[in-house]
Amino acid sequence: MRSPFAYTPRPKPLQLASPAAAVTYLGALVAVAFLYSNPFVLLAVGIAVVLAGRLAGAWMAVRAALWMGLTLALLIVVVNALVVSRGTTVWARLGEWPVFGQVDVTAEALAAGAVLGLRAAVVMVAFAVYSACVDPDRVLRALRPLAGRSALTATLVSRLVPVAAADAARLRDAARLRGPGAAPVGKAPLARRLLAGSLDRAVDVAATLELRGYSLQSTHPAVAVTRFGAMRAKKRYGPVGGRRRSRYDRRFYATGVLVLAVAIAGKALGANSFSEYPTTEIGSGAATLAVAAIVAFSGLAPLRRSPRRTIARTPRAASTSTPAGVRS
Amino acid sequence: MQLGGGTQTEPRVASALAIEGLTYAYPEAASPALRDVSLTLECGDFALLAGRSACGKSTLLRAACGLVPHFHGGEISGQVEVAGLDAIATGPGELAAVVGYLAQDPETQVVSTTVSAEIELPLEMRGDPPASRARAVEEVALALAIPHLLDRAVDTLSGGELQRVALAAALVTRPQLVLLDEPTSQLDPVAGDELIWLLRRLNSEWGVTILLAEHRLERCLAAADRVVAMDSGAIAYDGSPRDFLSWAQESDEALETPAARLFSLIGLDPLPVGVRDARRTLASTSAAAGGGTDPLLTACTFSSLTSRRQQPHSPPKKLSEEGIRLASTPALDVTDLWVELVSGDSPNDVLRGMDLEVRRGERVALMGRNGAGKSTLLRTAAGLTDSVRGKIELPAGIALLTQNPSDYLVRERVGDELPGSEGLAALRTVGLEHATDADPRDLSGGERQRLALAIALAGRMVAGDELPGLVALDEPTRGMDRARKADLALLIHELASRGAGLLVATHDVEFASAFAERVVLLGDGVVIADGPTGEVLSGGWYFATEVARVLDLPGVITPEQGAAALRQGVDD
Repeated sequence: MRSPFAYTPRPKPLQLASPAAAVTYLGALVAVAFLYSNPFVLLAVGIAVVLAGRLAGAWMAVRAALWMGLTLALLIVVVNALVVSRGTTVWARLGEWPVFGQVDVTAEALAAGAVLGLRAAVVMVAFAVYSACVDPDRVLRALRPLAGRSALTATLVSRLVPVAAADAARLRDAARLRGPGAAPVGKAPLARRLLAGSLDRAVDVAATLELRGYSLQSTHPAVAVTRFGAMRAKKRYGPVGGRRRSRYDRRFYATGVLVLAVAIAGKALGANSFSEYPTTEIGSGAATLAVAAIVAFSGLAPLRRSPRRTIARTPRAASTSTPAGVRS
Repeated sequence: MQLGGGTQTEPRVASALAIEGLTYAYPEAASPALRDVSLTLECGDFALLAGRSACGKSTLLRAACGLVPHFHGGEISGQVEVAGLDAIATGPGELAAVVGYLAQDPETQVVSTTVSAEIELPLEMRGDPPASRARAVEEVALALAIPHLLDRAVDTLSGGELQRVALAAALVTRPQLVLLDEPTSQLDPVAGDELIWLLRRLNSEWGVTILLAEHRLERCLAAADRVVAMDSGAIAYDGSPRDFLSWAQESDEALETPAARLFSLIGLDPLPVGVRDARRTLASTSAAAGGGTDPLLTACTFSSLTSRRQQPHSPPKKLSEEGIRLASTPALDVTDLWVELVSGDSPNDVLRGMDLEVRRGERVALMGRNGAGKSTLLRTAAGLTDSVRGKIELPAGIALLTQNPSDYLVRERVGDELPGSEGLAALRTVGLEHATDADPRDLSGGERQRLALAIALAGRMVAGDELPGLVALDEPTRGMDRARKADLALLIHELASRGAGLLVATHDVEFASAFAERVVLLGDGVVIADGPTGEVLSGGWYFATEVARVLDLPGVITPEQGAAALRQGVDD
């Protein structure tokens, strides 16, 4: 079974956009999540990435990431409440604990943990959307002129990881199908078998690469290893990174830049007002709400507009005239 | 206008492949894999490489693309030239410009995430500019009828689609020679036939030279211009497909096609290289006899019949006493079974309200195209997949052998895999009790499969010897030659005679005709045909044996049945 995070090509704007445009857009949202601690803005980033994933058709990835992210967030809240005793509003005094010492659960520590957890969850969803919507081959191909061998290695890893996962699933199935009279399969033999299988696969892939001409020393500028070589090639042959440009690129670049600019300006204007200790204070001024609104609204960037209908205008005279031979 | 007075010499046209006196041994191998092989393929040839398992076919293909010796090492002598390039001195990277290679398992030869990136990779490696890459990808995608797959992720493709993508990646550089190592072994009959005729079209229209190694000769003999048969690392036959059949009749019956065997049983000449050829010969024989004497009597010499009549293709069903007792009880009872698997972002019903019963002692072939739900049914029965609705009952348990027997082998000694009396009983059931001290890796492919089956059976045999109610095998004949398939068919008969119900998912119609008494044909998650093997495998085109396609007689699917039917026609 495929991982929900595996890239799935779909005819949606985010998938059709160039990797640089998609990375600019999603990267801007992640940057806002790291720049801000204000829960309203973080929630807005969360809304934006969930909306973006939903509109890009990656709902399974979003759902899986939300599940994992919220579990992690809960863990962070609990740990933070146990290890941080700062804050004035004590909700519970749990006494002396062997490692932690005096444990006081405060509302402020819980709030601070919730903010940290929210940030982690939001970033995880953003990466899930990236993983499910941005073609890794196109990303790596874009990087290839700068570091060809490394990019190919990364391509192979991105391909072999799911293959190894599938192998592991197959081996687990075979272990379950063993009769009760056969020797049980422990984790060590299974791991050894998986490793041996992976090595066999690696040998097969190496053979395939040989046959695809991997060992050739190309002299063509399109795969030149220097940055300047790549630029020359681009000038001569067009963009190296793909066989297709997208009409959605501008939208994602513009949205990413806008979100980042608004976030920076908002931060300068005090939109990130939030303090955890000694008492939790959450800013909800106009600047904060404006930043949050713009960030949340940016989640609509992957929305696909229905094609504009072209209406053929016919001359009035023609439309009102009676065809020959027809009596009105 | 001719300039200069000297005689003009014809430019030398290099052969697509020229091998001279090639002998090769893998590192630390006791004996050479190739012995003094000499073979020349001219441009535009379509040659079929035949032979039993481990006879050296794959090694020969690997030598022709440079993997031997550059990738595998070992000792080599002789000469290999591909389109004028010395393959022993030149590495596979340089040879990639003139030779394309397609292996048995497409999973192992796909390195990118999306189809377009995979096809484009060899051109990128070669340094072609983006514009020419885009055009080449488009051209090859159109040639192989896969433009709709270009934007798909490779891990969402079916086996047939993935094989086509791997072929596209091998062809995108426009090589002069294409080498294919059992490319249809994992495909259903439809996809397999399509691939063979696609190769024929590429050969005719693009002039690509093709060297195709295959076990299912009946599928591709008609497409080939020439057959090269190997035996123990040496070339045993090199000639036309029709003469090959005569040679196989004399030298190695495992290489005979069913139609050729039918003709040899009734003593009809010439032996047919395909269904169309066989039908034409039968029709012309009939016409030649025209009106007067019996049609077949004029052409048939029945001398060969008498010698072979005593060898039935499949042994008659003989149940032991225990088998007879158990035969009336069900081994598998499936009622209104629905199974849903997630594919992409949405769940997909793979089995849709299936009803099926298999009784103990019954031998059932489960057939259908890729994705019809065969493996899902077996996995659900074994508890690996959950159903969303319906009932599946296995009153006496199940032992399932999946598609990769090596997944079951995790230890370095057979006895360690199957310790104790239960292990020994399981080994005895599959005839491997003598191999307890062997390393599983040293066993032959067929023995490894038997060992894996023993592992699945161990401890599931009631009272020491009674088999579980259902023994299920999923695609057990991948990469097997006909002799090994015959051994497996015998094992299936033996297990059924001991009271186990046998349910075997397979694409191989000839194998199904050899072991099954009943065929269940699945289509899109439901049973679309269920009946005696002769009835189901003689009523169609893709899911029909070669003999059934030649004779088109109800219930006649094996050469022996065909010969008997024709003989009866003569007698009547």
